[in-house]
Amino acid sequence: MARVALNALRKSFGAVEVIKGVDLDVEDGEFCVFVGPSGCGKSTLLRMISGLEEVTSGTIEIGGADVTRAEPSKRGIAMVFQSYALYPHLTVRENMGFGLSLARMPKDQIAAEVDKVAAILQLEPLLDRKPKALSGGQRQRVAIGRAIVRDPGVFLFDEPLSNLDAALRSQMRLELTDLHARLGATMIYVTHDQVEAMTMADKIVVLNAGRIEQVGTPMDLYERPATPFVAGFIGSPKMNLFEGEVARRMGASVYGIRPEHLKVSDDDGTWQGTVRHVERLGADTILHVEVPDLGPVLARIEGHRTYAHGARVYLTPDPEREFRYQDGAAAS
Amino acid sequence: MTRRQLLTGLASLAVATVVFILPFLFVLINAAKTPAEASQPSFAWPSEWHLWSNLVEVVQVRDYALLLAYFNSIVITVGAMTLLVIFAAMVGYVLQRRPTRFSKFVEFTALAGLMIPPAVVPTIWVLQQVNLFKTIHGMILIQVAYGLSFCILLFRAFISSIPRDLDEAAIVDGATPLQVFFRVILPLLKPVTLTVIVVQSITIFNDFTHPLYYLPGAENITVQLTLYNFQSQFTSQLNLLFMNILLITIPPLLVFVFFNRQIVAGMTSGAVKG
Amino acid sequence: MRAKSPYPYWFFLPAAVIFVGLFLVPTVASFYFSLTYWDPFEARFAGWDNYVQFFSEPFLVRGTLNTLMFAFVTSLLKTVLGLLLAVLLTSGMFAQGFLRSVVFFPVLVSTIGVGILFQELMHPTQGAINVGLEAIGIDGPGWLTNPSLALFSVALVDVWRGVGLATLIYIAGLSTIAPDYYEAARIDGATRWQLFWRVTVPLVRPATTTVVILSLIGGLRLFDLVWAMTRGGPGFSSDVLASVIYKQYQAGFWGLSTAGNVILFLLIALIVAPLAWWLNRKELDA
Repeated sequence: MARVALNALRKSFGAVEVIKGVDLDVEDGEFCVFVGPSGCGKSTLLRMISGLEEVTSGTIEIGGADVTRAEPSKRGIAMVFQSYALYPHLTVRENMGFGLSLARMPKDQIAAEVDKVAAILQLEPLLDRKPKALSGGQRQRVAIGRAIVRDPGVFLFDEPLSNLDAALRSQMRLELTDLHARLGATMIYVTHDQVEAMTMADKIVVLNAGRIEQVGTPMDLYERPATPFVAGFIGSPKMNLFEGEVARRMGASVYGIRPEHLKVSDDDGTWQGTVRHVERLGADTILHVEVPDLGPVLARIEGHRTYAHGARVYLTPDPEREFRYQDGAAAS
Repeated sequence: MTRRQLLTGLASLAVATVVFILPFLFVLINAAKTPAEASQPSFAWPSEWHLWSNLVEVVQVRDYALLLAYFNSIVITVGAMTLLVIFAAMVGYVLQRRPTRFSKFVEFTALAGLMIPPAVVPTIWVLQQVNLFKTIHGMILIQVAYGLSFCILLFRAFISSIPRDLDEAAIVDGATPLQVFFRVILPLLKPVTLTVIVVQSITIFNDFTHPLYYLPGAENITVQLTLYNFQSQFTSQLNLLFMNILLITIPPLLVFVFFNRQIVAGMTSGAVKG
Repeated sequence: MRAKSPYPYWFFLPAAVIFVGLFLVPTVASFYFSLTYWDPFEARFAGWDNYVQFFSEPFLVRGTLNTLMFAFVTSLLKTVLGLLLAVLLTSGMFAQGFLRSVVFFPVLVSTIGVGILFQELMHPTQGAINVGLEAIGIDGPGWLTNPSLALFSVALVDVWRGVGLATLIYIAGLSTIAPDYYEAARIDGATRWQLFWRVTVPLVRPATTTVVILSLIGGLRLFDLVWAMTRGGPGFSSDVLASVIYKQYQAGFWGLSTAGNVILFLLIALIVAPLAWWLNRKELDA
C-alpha cells in the first residue's frame, strides 16, 4: 500500500515543456483520476510516475521512498496500457506470470500466484489461450490480472477503457470500482472522458496544458469549479460560458451557467431566444437556443417537454448556480 | 474468366515455356545423357536416362569435391544467417525505437551499404591482417557484413509495426534491455525473420564472386565454385556439366516451392515505400 | 543526469564491428591504396598514376564504357519489360499464378549456372539457339564470339535472369493502386491505352523508382555473369569494371585493381544517388 507524492514535477522534450510544475498527493488506497483534453500532459505525468518517462526536475515519492530516478520495476507499481500490451506470443498464463518469471520466481509459485488472480477475475477458462483468441473485454481483464499478479502498491491505468464499446465500458467501470474496493490499493487512472472520471474517482485531478487546474472530489468539481476551464470540462452537456461584454454585464470576465440550471419558459424570463436544434435523449431533451447578444445557449429540460424548431422561449438562470470568474479564478 | 483472359493466358504460357522453361528442360535432358550424346547438347531425348549414374559421377569428381562444397556452403550460409538475424534485428530494433540523430546516421550508413560496391582487394588486405583470409569463418563474417544493410532495413520496417507498449509493459515487469529484446521482441519477429532467412540464404548460397576472392583453395570450395572449377574438365563430358548445373539449381528450387510467400515479401519490401 | 535508455546503443556494437571492420575500413582504405603501386608484397605511393592509366589504356576505358552501357541497357529493358509483364500478370488471365512463378524463378538460380548454361545455348554452331534459328531458316550470329555482340548477349541473359524481380516489384506496386482509380477513369471514358499511361504509369512510380535503382546498382556492379559467359572476351570487348578489377587483382596489379574499385564506387555514387534523390522528389510532388 502506498501514498504517491509529486513535488514540483517538470518535464521538457527538448525546448518544449509539457509538464510545468506539478505538486500532488495521492493518498494511500485512493482512486485518483487524471483527466484533461488530449495533449494536456496527463499521460506523460502517468508515465513519469511509472518511470517510463524521465523526470526533468522535481521528485516523485511512492510509499515514502524517493523513486524519481528508480527503474520502473523498482517502484512497486504496475501499469495497464491503453492497448493492453499483452505479449501476443505468450498464453494468458505466461502473460500474467511474465514479471514473476523475470524475477526468477520458481515455476510452481508463479502458477499459484497466477491461479489466485485468475480466480478473482474469472479468467481460469482462458489461461491457456493466446491474446489473439480473446475478446476486447477479456483482454482488458487479462491486462488487469497481469498488473494484480505483481502485487503492486500503486496501479497505473492509461486510458484502459478507450478501446471498448460503450456497453462494455460502463460494465468495466463498475468492475474496476469493485476491484479497487476489494484490493484497497492506490490507483491512478488517466482518461480524457469526464464521465469515467466522475463515476470512478475518489479524487479528480484536472490537467490543462501541463498544469493542474483543480484537484477535488467529483462533486467538488461539479459544484465548485475553480476555473473556467474546469467549469467547461466537467459536466455534460458542457456549461454555457460567456466572455467579453456579456460577461462584464454579469459582473465578471467569464460567466457560466450549466444547461440543467436554466429554467425554460414559454412566456417569461431573463433571456429571450429562438430554438435552433432539439436533441431528444429520452430522459432529457437538450435545447440549442439562439439568444441575441449571447449567441448559442444550451438548456436541458425533461424528456417529455418538447419545442418546435424556431419556437420562442425564455431562459432564466438559477441565481444559486451561476459561476462568475475574474482573471481565471472564481469571483466571490 | 473471359475468353480473352483464357487466350492471353495460353499465348503467354507458350511464350514463357520457350523462354523460361525450355532452358531448364535443356539442362535436365542433357544431364541424363551419355558423354557421347551430350557432346552436342540438344533437345533430343536421351536414348537412355543416365541421371543417377551421372549424378554419382559428378559427386565423385576430384575426391568428392561437390560434397565438400555443399558442406562448406551450408556451414557458411547457416553461420552467416545466425549472426545476421540476431545482429541485424538488434540494430533494427534500436534504430526504430530510438530515432535520434545518431540513429539517423547509422541508418544512412546502412543504406549506403546497399549501394557501395565492396572494395575487394583492400578487404583481402584487412582479412590477411586478422588471419581470416582463406578461412570459412572469415567468409561467414564477410557475408554478414555484406548482408547486414538489407536485413537491418527489413527488420526496422517490421519492428515499427510492433507496439511500443509491449516493450514498456516488459520494462515495468522488470525486464532488462536484453530481456525485452530476446523474450518479447525477437519472438514477435518470426515472420520477417523467416523472410530474411529465405532471401538472404539464397543470396549467400548462390554467391560466386566473394568466395572467388576471399576463399581460394581446393579445401574451401563452395557450391558455386564447383561449376566454375570443373568447367574446363567437363568440356568433353558436357553431361556432367549439366548435371552439376542441375545440382546447384535444386536447392533454390526447393526453397522457392516451400517459401514462395516469404521470398515475394522480402524481394518487394522496397517497392511500396521507396 | 540521464537515465539509461531501454534501447541502448551497444545493441549496434556486434553488427558495427563486423560492418566497419570488413566493409567500411576497406572502402576507406581503397581511396589510399588506389593511389599506390600495390602488389602482394608492398605498396608504394604512386599519385594519380593508376587513374591516369585507367583513362588512357584503351582496354580499361572500354571496360568503363561497357559498364555504363551494360547498366543502361539492362535497366531500361528490365524496367520496360517488368512493367509490361506485371500488367499482363495482374490481368486475371489463365495460369497467372504459375506464370508469375515461371518468370520469377531464374532470379533465384545461381548466376554461374545460368551463365554457363547460356554459354552452351549460345554456342555459334552447336548451341541450341542457333540450331533452332537455323531450323526456321535464320543464320544465327556468333552471340558470344562476335566482339560487337558479346556484351549485348550477356546483357540479354542478365535481363532474362533479372526481369522476374522487376516484375515482382511492379506486381506489388500495382496491387497498391486502388481499383477506384480505374473505375473512375473508365466512367470518364478512358481507353485501355489511356488507362495504362494516365493511371498505371504515374501511380506505380514508387515501384519504378525501386526497379530503376536496383537494376542500375546491379548492372554497374555485375561480375559473375560476365565472368561465367565471356571472361570479358573476345579480347576485351565485353569487359566491365568488375571483371577488370578481378583481372588486375589476378595479375598482381592490386593498386590498379583498387583504382577500378574506386571508379566503380564513384560511378554508382554519381549516378545512383542523384537519380534516387530526383525520383523520390518527383514522388513527393505527385
